This record gives sequence, structure tokens and C-alpha cells, in this order.
Amino acid sequence: MREEPNLRYISELPPHVHSGITKDKVMLRTFLLMCIPALAALPAMGLSALAHIAIAIGTVLFCHYSLAYTELLSKGTTSYKSPCSPLVAGMIVGLSMPIAAPYYATVGVAALTMVVFKWLQGRLCGRKYLNPAAASKVLLLAALSIAAGLGTGMMFYPAHLRLDLWTAAGFDEVVAFYDGRSALSGALSLVLLKDHGWIGGASGLAVLVAGIGAVLWIRLKWRIVVSLLLTVGVLAAVMSLVTGGSMVDRLAFHLFTGSVIFMGFFMATEPQSTPLAEGGQYLFGTALGVGTFLLQQLNVLGGSIIVLVALNLVTPLIDTIGRRRPYGHGGVR
Amino acid sequence: MRLRRDKYHFQERGGFTVDATVKRGAEHLPFQRVPDPELCVVFLRQHIGPPNEPLVGPGDRVTEGQKIGDGEGHMCVPVHAPVTGRVTKIDTAYHPGLGAESEAVFIERASEEIPPLRLSRFDPDRLQDAEPDALVGAVREAGVVGLGGAGFPAHVKLSFRDKAEYLVINAKESDPNVACDVRLKQERPAELVAGIRAMARMLNVKECIFATRAQRGEFPELEERLRKAGVELAHIRPSYSVGSDKLLVKELLNVEVPCGAYPPDVGAVVHNVFTAYAVARGLYDGEPLTSRGITFISRYTGPRNLWVKVGTPMRHVLEHMGIPPDTVQRLVVASMLMGGAVPHADVPLVKATAAISAFDPQERSPYERERACIRCGYCNMVCPVSIYPVLIMEAEKRGQRGKLRRLHAEDCIDCGLCSYVCPSLIKLTGYLRRAMAEVKQG
Repeated sequence: MREEPNLRYISELPPHVHSGITKDKVMLRTFLLMCIPALAALPAMGLSALAHIAIAIGTVLFCHYSLAYTELLSKGTTSYKSPCSPLVAGMIVGLSMPIAAPYYATVGVAALTMVVFKWLQGRLCGRKYLNPAAASKVLLLAALSIAAGLGTGMMFYPAHLRLDLWTAAGFDEVVAFYDGRSALSGALSLVLLKDHGWIGGASGLAVLVAGIGAVLWIRLKWRIVVSLLLTVGVLAAVMSLVTGGSMVDRLAFHLFTGSVIFMGFFMATEPQSTPLAEGGQYLFGTALGVGTFLLQQLNVLGGSIIVLVALNLVTPLIDTIGRRRPYGHGGVR
Repeated sequence: MRLRRDKYHFQERGGFTVDATVKRGAEHLPFQRVPDPELCVVFLRQHIGPPNEPLVGPGDRVTEGQKIGDGEGHMCVPVHAPVTGRVTKIDTAYHPGLGAESEAVFIERASEEIPPLRLSRFDPDRLQDAEPDALVGAVREAGVVGLGGAGFPAHVKLSFRDKAEYLVINAKESDPNVACDVRLKQERPAELVAGIRAMARMLNVKECIFATRAQRGEFPELEERLRKAGVELAHIRPSYSVGSDKLLVKELLNVEVPCGAYPPDVGAVVHNVFTAYAVARGLYDGEPLTSRGITFISRYTGPRNLWVKVGTPMRHVLEHMGIPPDTVQRLVVASMLMGGAVPHADVPLVKATAAISAFDPQERSPYERERACIRCGYCNMVCPVSIYPVLIMEAEKRGQRGKLRRLHAEDCIDCGLCSYVCPSLIKLTGYLRRAMAEVKQG
């Protein structure tokens, strides 16, 4: 043996093997899963849906590469190497836009998502506390509401302001709106194929399939989704019992609109801005359900993102409760 | 999510899988004896506990099996000369288990053949006549430590006669790159069972459990011997994390070992299967622990089971396997998930070394391209002791010692699973180790 080893190896901490599940793979899987509701939107909403999605993705990618280029010029290196995360952000923006929204709104939300709520938020806060797509949409729609009136701010559906969801007769009018738009009944149209509202919610069923796929394939925070849907479902059922009318229609309307089902699976589970503790996730989903349902009742359809952003802000607090008991502390494993 | 259920894919919490295909086929490869090296470096401390004092000095001649280091404390375990030769010096060397320099005896091997020294032996057929204390003392004299990786003094664990109700033999072999335990079960079933019987006698337990992930009928001879010896054979689900003593106790007995306590506190004494073998060799053959079986893995050789003298420099093992040491870039000692990479090839093997893995420069560390945490929570999902590695990492970075205590950072079992599943390729292990140390410092 040599007195002084002349051959130095890389000395490092364990582990030395990895599962192979990388951030890019997770993002790519998310993107692929979201293609299911995106494709389902085509027959229901037409090429306009595809245009919104393409514009959102294109804008986000443009911002991504612009930021990367700027970083490269100033630092000589860039942290913006992979386009996988922007792809997902772009897809979420596209799918969370109402089909009636003008394309400039999509561009605005996509640019805000990437520059302000992904890049700037990350730089200033060290991580993303707010869901980028939801926060961008809330910001833009608030600005539009102030500048162009509440009708425009209401996701470009001013008719929503006249709805009455507190009575059976008022609710029947809402369902009748869907009844008259296709061969499907109101409830079926809400679940299977609708040409109104969020692009991502065109087919509630497609979102459900993609969402279940995401639970299995990327392990999204299913507790949030389950508690959200359960809460909204229970409240809708109670409302139906109190006001009368069809419970099926009530459930279909409150659960299968894009702002609930798509938001629930693909926005409310955004990892950075939502709780890590299991109990906290249930609490988060339940609070989101209550807030969403109340806003729906108050005619702020699509208002779930406002509740989501508000809950994002208190996520660090929620993270302090509802943790599992570690092994050896009397907990159940 | 791909659900792969075979003996090389271990199922963990959160639906994650540990890939152990790297050792595929190793269970069919018998132990191959590595020739004694020219120079052995025997650390005086190869156990958890205070270091030993050297019993020899530079220039002394030593015979294989001769005790060369011992200490006064209850936790001290003597070390023995693995080869016959001459002590050249007593100096420090890099200890793979401690990750730091430690005092060692350097022995230059002599060319002449001298019969090795042996300890006093016990008759396996008259085991019931032997005093448990005498057996425990003999285990200590044989220098037996826990061979699963920790190096806890075996005689100390075997002294819990008042507490022990169950003796659990951990033959789970759940590390992705360790296959030597399987070979031991295949090649040395008689000694293994003899060792278990001796341990049971020392502990006077009401039940012995042999925990394995092997299927029924995979080791017929061993199973038959265990049955005759009254040892219960427990077939455990293939899981890496259940290889931990505390989690194995939970799996088998449905009892949690309280925080800060050890398995004997809940009536279970857990020993590695290799330890049982070393006990048998020490008691019945009078052979101190100077050699052991390991699994060697490199992409050139594939997995191999080797029988190596304690104190053998890794360089010697590499050369024996036909791998020039200068073609290696990382040399991992012990489990790929828990063991550190040593700084050079002259680092010697210690008693607790169960595996060596050699990576060349083309096999880059998967953690080189670390990215920002996305708080996906995978680390929390997979954690077998239900702590929150990502929250601990955040608190450790901010120096929030109080929060680290509230997050129970001290409960980490250092399994490495959190890093293994991290999509951002963050080595959370480092943060967790620092957090543990901070909490323990108070």
C-alpha cells in the first residue's frame, strides 16, 4: 500500500443511486395527462380552444427562452434549461381560460404567469407561494374588472351576474342553458361535453380520467382533490335538499364545471403552493370547497381561483398542522 | 405508475419502488476467496463505542487470529490480526464507517505459513450446559460486532437476557447492492442455525424469528434446519426500509420502538444473519472475526460475492477483480443508499463492510444536476418513519433548531429513500444528518 494515496476519488454522501423519477419526467407526464382534457375540448369548443392552448404555451415558452437568454447574457449560465415546466404552465393557463375570453387575455395571463409569478416570485421569495396561473388570472381579471367593468372581469360572461342559484327555479334556468346547447341533457352535457366555460372543463369526464391518471402516475396531492370534491358535493346535495330540484343536476353543475374539476386536479395540487402535511391537505381542500361553493352561489363562477390564491397565502400556516406522527411517537404507521 | 413486483423491486411507502436489479444473479454466485493482501490495515475501532488500545507495537510479529487491540469499556470489542506477519506501524487511516481518520494497526503479511491462533471452543451438542455469560464473553473475545452495517457490539445485544422475549434474525437483505446474505443462507446453513441456537441460549428468549424476503422453498436445507431448531421462518414483503431494525420489529411484532429507545426495550433483539454466522464460527470453531463475505459490484464485473479478510485495502480487491484502481472514480462502501464514497482506493475494509461498489467516470452520480425543490412531497410520502424531510431541510437551511425538534429530525433512520425519490435530485441526506446532529446536541 502507498504511504500517500496518489489517486483521489470523488468522496460524497449517500445515496449513490436514484429512482430515475426526475422533475422533467414529472412535468412531462403532467403535460401528457393534460392533453386528455385538451383533446376533449376540441369537439366541444372547436379550434378556438386549441388556439387558446397554443397561444398560452407559445407565450410561456417565449418568456421562458427570453429569461434564459437574459440570464445567459448576464451570468454566463442559465437555470432555465428545460422547457418541461413552462410547457405545463402554458397548458394550465390555456386550459384554465374561458372559451369566450379574447386571445389577448390568454397572452396576458400566460406572460404574467411566467414572468411575475414563476420567475419573479421565485427570485424574490425563494419559492412559489402563489399558484402562478391562478394568481395571474386573478390579477388580470381584477385589472379588467376595474378598467372595463365587472362584466368583463367576470370571465367574459356578464350573464352570470344575473343567475339565481339560491332557488330551484333559478337553478333550473341554469341547467336549461345547457339543455338547449346540444343533444345531451343538462347534467350529461355538464359531465361529458360542454361548449361553455373553462376550456379545461369542456369534458368533466376527461378531466376525471386525466386526474386519476395523475394520482397514479405523478402522485399528485389527491387528498386536496378528494376533500374539495367531497365538500362541494355535500354542499351541493344539501342545497338541493333545501331548495328542492334535481340533485343530479346540482351535483353535475357544482362538481363538473371546469373551475372546480380542472382547478381541483391540476391547479389546487400545484406542489409548491399547497400544504405538504396530510391533515393540512384535507383542510386545504375542504376550505377550498367551501369557498368555491359559496362563490358559485354568489354567481362568481370560476371564482375558485380567488379562493385558491387566498389559501396559497396561508399554506405555510396550514403546514404547521395535520402532520403525521412519526414512528415511535405512538402514531399509527 | 409502474407497479413492478419481483424480488429485485422492493415496494416502499407511497407506491415507490427501489430498484435492486444491480444484484440480479448474484445469489447464484458462490463466495470467491480474495487472496490475502501484502498489507492489512486493521482499525482499532470497528464497533460503536470507545476505541481500543493497541496490544502490539511496531516491529512485533503477529499470528493470524491473535488479539491486537482491546479496551476496558463494556462497549469495546477486540480486534484480531487477519494475517500472520509483522506490525509495521500504528498510525491513522481513513475509516470507511466513521468517514474520518482513525487509529489502525498496519500489518505486513509474512510469506511463511503458520497455523492461525484459535480461541477456546464450545461443543454445539452441549450448548445447554454452557453458561450464557460464558457464551457472551466468548462472543466478545471473538470480536463479533453487528455485521449488518452498524457495527454494534454483538455481546452487548446478547446480554439483554432480562429484556429479550424475541430474537429476530434479520436476513432481509434489503440493500439494493448486497447479496452476500443470500449466499450465506445457501452455502453455510448449518453454521447459521448453530449460531442462532447459541444466541437464543444466551438471550433465553421465548421465540426466535428468522425474517427473510425469500419465498418458501427457496432455501430448503436452511428451512429444514430452522424448523428442527424451532426457529420461526417469517417471509417478509420485499421492502428496503423494512431492513431497518426498528421497522422490522414493527413489521414482525406490530410494536413500535419508542423514540430514543432500542428494540430490546420492547423485548426484541435483532441480529443480522451474518452476525449469527460469526457467532457460530467464534464459539464452535474458535475463529475470531477476521474475514467476511461481501458483495462487489461494478459494471465490468457485474455482481460478485467475495470472501475477504478484514483490513484488506479496497485497491487489493479492485486489482483482484481485474479493475485498475485508476479507472474508478467513485468507490462506495456498504449500501448504495446509505454508505459513503471513500476518498481513495487504499481505504481498508472493516468488519461491518457488506458491500463495495465501484463506479467509473462514465457512471456519473445521478445527483450532479441538482435543481430547486418543487415541494412535491415525494420525500414525505416515501419516508418509512413518517417524518417530513423537505420541511426539515428548509428548517435546517434557516437554522431553526426549535422547528427541527418539532419536526422530529432525530427520528431519521438515514435510509436515503428521500433522496432516492427526489425529482429535483436533492441529497436530503446531508441536511437530515446535520439536522439530527443539531437536535441531538440540544
